[in-house]
Amino acid sequence: MASVTFDHVVKRYTSDLTVVKDFNVEVADKEFMVLVGPSGCGKSTALRMLAGLESISEGQIRIGDRVINNIAAKDRDIAMVFQSYALYPHMSVYDNMAFPLQMQHMKKAEIDKRVKAASSSLGLGNFLDRKPRALSGGQRQRVALGRAIVRNPQVFLLDEPLSNLDAKLRAQTRIELQKLHRDLGTTFIYVTHDQVEAMTMGDRIAIMNAGILQQVGTPGDIYDHPANIFVAGFVGTPTMNFVAATVQDGVAKASGFQVKLPKALAAAKGTLGFRPEAVTDRITDPDSAMEMKVDVVERLGSDQFLYGKVGGDSVTARVDPRIKVEPGDSIKLGLDTRTLHFFDSETELALL
Amino acid sequence: MSAVSPATKPVSPPTKPVTLERRSLLGAIRPSRAILNIVLVASAVFWLVPTIGLAIISLRPESLFQQSGWWTALTAPAQLTLSNYQTLFSQGLVTGGVLDSLITSLEITVPATLLVTIISSLTAYSLVFGRWPGRSVVFLVIVGLLVVPIQVALIPVVQEYRAFGSLTGFNPFGTIPGVVIFHVAFGLPFGIFLMYNFYSGIPKEMLEAGRIDGAGEWQLFRRVALPLGLPAAASLMIFQFIWVWNDLLVALIFLGSNPHYTLTIFLFNQTRTLAANYWIISTGAMISIFIPLIVFFSFQRYFVRGVLAGAVK
Amino acid sequence: MAEIGTEATPRARRRAAAVNEGGNPGGGWRDHLGSLAFLAPGAIFLLAITVYPLVATARNSFYDATATNYVGLGNYQEIFSTSSILVTFRNNVIWVLVFPFLVTFIGLVYGVLSERIRWSTAFKTIIFMPIVFSATASALVWRTIFDLDPHIGIVNAAIQTASDWVSPPGLYPVDTSSGQTVAGLAATGVSSAPKDSLESSSTVTAGNSIELGLIGVSPATLQLTGSQTAVVPTQSPGAVTGLVWRDFSPTNPTAKGQVLPDELGFAGLKLTLLRSDGSSAGTAVTDAHGDFLFGGVGSGDYKVQIDPGNFSSGFTGVFWLGAQSLTPTSSLNQTAQALLSVPLVDISMILAYLWIWAGFAMVVIGAGLASLDREVLEAARLDGAGEWQTFRRMTMPMLAPVLIVVIVTMLINVLKIFDIILNMAPGSSQGEANTLALAMYNFGFTGLGNWGLASALAVILFILVIPAIVLNLRRIRG
Repeated sequence: MASVTFDHVVKRYTSDLTVVKDFNVEVADKEFMVLVGPSGCGKSTALRMLAGLESISEGQIRIGDRVINNIAAKDRDIAMVFQSYALYPHMSVYDNMAFPLQMQHMKKAEIDKRVKAASSSLGLGNFLDRKPRALSGGQRQRVALGRAIVRNPQVFLLDEPLSNLDAKLRAQTRIELQKLHRDLGTTFIYVTHDQVEAMTMGDRIAIMNAGILQQVGTPGDIYDHPANIFVAGFVGTPTMNFVAATVQDGVAKASGFQVKLPKALAAAKGTLGFRPEAVTDRITDPDSAMEMKVDVVERLGSDQFLYGKVGGDSVTARVDPRIKVEPGDSIKLGLDTRTLHFFDSETELALL
Repeated sequence: MSAVSPATKPVSPPTKPVTLERRSLLGAIRPSRAILNIVLVASAVFWLVPTIGLAIISLRPESLFQQSGWWTALTAPAQLTLSNYQTLFSQGLVTGGVLDSLITSLEITVPATLLVTIISSLTAYSLVFGRWPGRSVVFLVIVGLLVVPIQVALIPVVQEYRAFGSLTGFNPFGTIPGVVIFHVAFGLPFGIFLMYNFYSGIPKEMLEAGRIDGAGEWQLFRRVALPLGLPAAASLMIFQFIWVWNDLLVALIFLGSNPHYTLTIFLFNQTRTLAANYWIISTGAMISIFIPLIVFFSFQRYFVRGVLAGAVK
Repeated sequence: MAEIGTEATPRARRRAAAVNEGGNPGGGWRDHLGSLAFLAPGAIFLLAITVYPLVATARNSFYDATATNYVGLGNYQEIFSTSSILVTFRNNVIWVLVFPFLVTFIGLVYGVLSERIRWSTAFKTIIFMPIVFSATASALVWRTIFDLDPHIGIVNAAIQTASDWVSPPGLYPVDTSSGQTVAGLAATGVSSAPKDSLESSSTVTAGNSIELGLIGVSPATLQLTGSQTAVVPTQSPGAVTGLVWRDFSPTNPTAKGQVLPDELGFAGLKLTLLRSDGSSAGTAVTDAHGDFLFGGVGSGDYKVQIDPGNFSSGFTGVFWLGAQSLTPTSSLNQTAQALLSVPLVDISMILAYLWIWAGFAMVVIGAGLASLDREVLEAARLDGAGEWQTFRRMTMPMLAPVLIVVIVTMLINVLKIFDIILNMAPGSSQGEANTLALAMYNFGFTGLGNWGLASALAVILFILVIPAIVLNLRRIRG
């Protein structure tokens, strides 16, 4: 069983510097879990605690049923791909991949078999004699992967492996990593700051901010049912619209429009949240229609985004790309009330 | 179902931890903390003993020197006295004395240091920012000159000085300028190398902007390259200062029979006399160490940088 | 100026090409004048003092002592056939083989270990500091440290303290270096015995006494040991009594064998009563008058032994700065000796030089260690490498370039070594401690005055340095 459990894990450097606060996540066996959040949120630290590169201040980390707090990194049966790949610069590709197996005192024949198998599946067969400095970025990354794969670990850790690649290679590698996960059938724990990677790759996502776990769930869950304003604003491009509103008699009143809330709320004021795709040129509910003064128009071919002001609030709308709109125009937009969110002082999700 | 955890108001992300764990990742042999400290303390003590010994010898009268070792003073500090220093200083500026030698050393070291730094900066500037052909070849030649030993130049320079003397009436041999010239020439390869590496790090765009604005080369040098190059120049000056201050061979040869000595020559002469004169040797050595020590402790960072630059590209 | 998007005329294209190559349009040498002028001062110095002299020295090496008459390879022949000059090669080889690797090793050890302590900055400063001193001052410091006299040199003092504690010197040390022997102390009724001891010439039985006379020890020494006038021993039944005294009367110098009133006894002498088979029947110590008594003595003939410990001089100091060879070459011919001896003074000087330069190696290697990619070492840790394996297979190989730089730098440094030899080796050792640079100085600028020979030595020195030049150029280029 290669499930991974973080049980009330805390990482404290000094008495006033706690980088990971009460982290609780259960990763199922063979799952692809993504830890995502802005820089400094503690995701890399959590990963490193799991790897054994940082000590655990409080709490337990378990792999399967085994508590690994005090087990040395090399005995945890974990492989890690570093952000900078951390290839051994003085060794050939072959030796880089063979090294962990040599440390396990594996027989030479067995090492050779595994290295050759991994390198051919990664397309590195012709580069076995090269040193890392003679490889491209993408090739180096594959060597780093190969070095991890040959170990046949229980858990695979990846620390922002795509951030050093150019955009095109990044998209390509994203797909390859997902295929790899399927082929290997091992638990993957993947750290990134990019919400697109998180949304596309993860079976489940754990979002962190300032050391605190914000929400854990499938990409769909996170997108449709964000637990708080941070999660809502973190996932989705362009970002969700946030508009201050007061509630009276089941109607939320913003400065430029109002909308009837689907269910009763306890709060009297808060923040209304709705994604750009909920604000379109199709007006289904005339009561919640709004008038936007357009500032900027972005035409992407398949989409058209309008950035402008509704009343006193900035709003982003996604409209039909065939509509002709220019900056300075006023346009009437409709709000889809089925995907409305309401946040009260950032802690509560009151709707949907 | 998504698991929701109570989210508090987002705090600004914490900055990278100041004190990371003292986990040594160097993977060397790991003796226990206690043994490590013992070994290193013993090493430190061993390293300090010679200097401390010298200091104590200089603080004891000569008569005590023959009787008992300087280490006995550690348990009987009452015997320490400044009389040796007083004697030497009371000699005043007598030619060939300690104070006169100190001044001679300064007269050689300061000009040599300043000249090397200025000329190195000029030359490096020309090599990095000039656009004339053949720059890289000249730089390679200078790199080649880095390790040339001064021995290959000693005799011919003496001959050149003589020739110059018969031409112009001034023979630099036996004079302070004669020593300075030699030091400058042999300090230049390292100086140029150091400044070259530093100037290479300055983006060419900075000077190109100046050129477009109509600045001439000298102005660009004086107002852009020189101020930017100050850290490297500082390292060079300190390194060069200590190097020239401590030199013996060049001064010994090129001061010839000049009645003024450098401090190193002064010390060297003491070993040639047969008299029991450890009080002079130790006191003179302490005085000669004094100034480099001050320079070192005041500008430690720059000195180390200079040393590193010479060793690592 | 051509506008963006307009077709460039051939002339404009040529102009653009000129600008890219670093020339100004319409310029040429005039533009370079500025930066070339900057080159002038440096060029003058370097050409006059470094480049031209290099050629001149090569030329001088083929000329005679006053650099006026051509002698072809004569100087070189002389160098390789004179044993006193061959000594310099041997010494340079010793320095080159020993020093760079030792200093790098020490620097590596200190560089690695000092990372783990809190006071690493202080430690590094202490080790680094001696670089700031002149080699002259350092040489003088270490000359004191290695001084022969244990009252001056701390090394010999330390050894003496340890040696005295283990085997303390006797009250009546015999100075073998000035030709004294223990046997020479025997005067009356005493003969020399094995292991530097003395014993009675005749035997004695219980109830009798025996007189043993010694000479060769001054009254001053006897005063220091508290010896007083010798007293004739009284006999005692069942005991062997006796007297050890100085058989020399200042008033009656020729009278020997009798105990005269102005003769002194030997106080504090350790004695052993020997049976005829040589085994010990007891020990005794003479009193202030030189008398002793062995009690409870059985029948049989006995001899009295004056123990050798009385005469041991303890540790008198090792001449660390001496030219004595560590290798057994005393029986070889002059040339072989010149080439194969390893004088002790070399070792002492190497130690002093290590003291000066270990800090340099440590700082450079420390910088190299700090620049190692931490993540690579973490990856190795995750891959299962233990402490030693990480060091051997990760740290060391990645550190190799830095180590080579240190070794080569120190190698060049040591080829030119001069100040420390001149100031640390005492006059008697200068010949055996000689190095190329020192010999060049001696031949060029002291009474030996032979410019041709000195130039040849300089040329040889330069040739030895050429590999380093090539290495440097390779490093810069690639």
